[in-house]
Amino acid sequence: MTWGNVETLVKIGEVIEASGSQFVAQCYKLHQPPPLGSLVKTKEGSIEIYGVVFNAETHSLEPGRRPIARGSEEPGGEDVFQANPQLAKLLTTDFGALVVGYREGGELCHYLPPRPACIHSFVYLCPLEEVEDFSHSLDFLPLLVETNLPMPVDEVIAACFRYFSQAHADRRTFLVKAGKELALLLGGELKRLNSILRKLK
Amino acid sequence: MSLDLAQVAEQIEGMAAKLQAGQEERRQKLEFALNTLLSNTKKLDFLKQKVETSKTTWLVAGLVDSLDSHIPAPSCPNNFVVLATDGSHIDVDRHRSTRCFVINIGVARLDYGEKPAAFLFNLPSLHFDEAEVILSSPDGTQRIEIEGQLLGVKRTIEECRILTELAEEVESNLSTVALLDGSLILWGLIGQSYPDFVIDILLKKGLLEYLGKLRHLAQTRQLALASYISFPRSTDVVNVLRLAICPYQPADCDHYCADKFGEKGCDKVAGLLDRELFDCLLATGERSAVFVSRSSIVREHYGEHRVYFFYLKIGEEVARLEVPQWIAKDKGLLDLLHSVVLDQCRRGEGYPVALSEAHEKAVITAQDREQFWQLVEKTLVMEERLLRTSAKSWSKRTRWV
Repeated sequence: MTWGNVETLVKIGEVIEASGSQFVAQCYKLHQPPPLGSLVKTKEGSIEIYGVVFNAETHSLEPGRRPIARGSEEPGGEDVFQANPQLAKLLTTDFGALVVGYREGGELCHYLPPRPACIHSFVYLCPLEEVEDFSHSLDFLPLLVETNLPMPVDEVIAACFRYFSQAHADRRTFLVKAGKELALLLGGELKRLNSILRKLK
Repeated sequence: MSLDLAQVAEQIEGMAAKLQAGQEERRQKLEFALNTLLSNTKKLDFLKQKVETSKTTWLVAGLVDSLDSHIPAPSCPNNFVVLATDGSHIDVDRHRSTRCFVINIGVARLDYGEKPAAFLFNLPSLHFDEAEVILSSPDGTQRIEIEGQLLGVKRTIEECRILTELAEEVESNLSTVALLDGSLILWGLIGQSYPDFVIDILLKKGLLEYLGKLRHLAQTRQLALASYISFPRSTDVVNVLRLAICPYQPADCDHYCADKFGEKGCDKVAGLLDRELFDCLLATGERSAVFVSRSSIVREHYGEHRVYFFYLKIGEEVARLEVPQWIAKDKGLLDLLHSVVLDQCRRGEGYPVALSEAHEKAVITAQDREQFWQLVEKTLVMEERLLRTSAKSWSKRTRWV
């Protein structure tokens, strides 16, 4: 079954860096990245590559041009952008996604795809129906648990569980199942497991 | 061997000490200049006539208003558009195999008010056709290659051409200020005695034609144009004071003072800059009186676009804005320009934000230049064209011991 046909989905960004296990996308709208832990997808030929958002960053498009504080005389944060319309063209929001699986010919795989995403491929936020379909199996979990990220990976795992659980009619059942899978993977790391589970509320 | 900074450092210290020692003398000169200016404010007609009839070896501003005028900032419109263009170029390199140059124009359109928006982009163009890189006289007997200073002039014209196109696209109900960086006076055409056809092509059929289009546009909408000079080094107004001090009526430097070195009365204000004078005369946000440029190229060729200028005090700096005559004579447009440029500088940390963004889009780095030539040579090699570069160029690119 094919979920979320890309022709009907709204694209949120474009791949600007890609490897076999991650991709970075530039958002079309400033300050509007997909939520932490959400499921996004992009295409590489006939393959749809799925990723879990692990980070987002807003920065100057040009290295060496740092933003400076501009709002001392503006009543609200949004007014800074109204008074300096060029800012929206000089800043950009990027987000990173960990590749957690792919779909080819209708078959869903919860492991790394044969090829990385293409640069300039469009990126879409998966609708909740597709998230539910993808997360019926949690075989992608090792890709999250065993990754090295420049930010706390346990935060990403917890955010992913919270986000995915919204797609399931019985949220609690999904979280219990996810918690059990996680316990198996983390083995003796009880402290780490507890820390993640406490973030699932 | 690279530059020996240790040796230069000692010389820098010497330079700093000398500048420090000269500060008191400069302060006294400035005080004298200000007193001269203020004591001459009621002699405007006399000074005007002296400016017009004197023969000086320095450039003197033509007078329009009282010397000490200082006009406070008018209020900015609620909705307005600021347009700016700025350019950079890759000059012809005679050591390369191909004769060509690149002009890159950076463009900024910033909309303020109810519908804020920004459009930032650049328009690079490669010029290689003979008609583009060589100026020819109508009878084809004279040919002048565009490079160096002339390329700088051509770039200024391109900046103005694209600014005109931008202005044509702005909705006619929006007050618009169009800004260029640098001078409206094509100084690159002065100094070397170029034949008339060069002036004709670059000035009359170039810059002045686009200024004419802008003037035509300004007849149906509120459109002001100016070129903005940051940290100006001009002395046109200080030179008016030299004339005020001069005991001869009219002044004639070559006749009366050709053999006097450093002992002329007018030397009491020599070396001062207009910006130093107006830094004392103007409060922050105020503009000076309007003056007319009396440079020969402007008087001989600019006609209805004769260049006027005024100074504007923006925080720590005094900027010079040059405008064509049709703006200078329209108080409404001068006020629009004054208020919007001041607002631009407030938003841009002391420099008009639109010009700053246009500049950012125009910049060509040293790396860009090298990559450009590599691409040219690579492409020509692929096309199996004969490629010859000079031995000097090759030696610079392959350093060996």
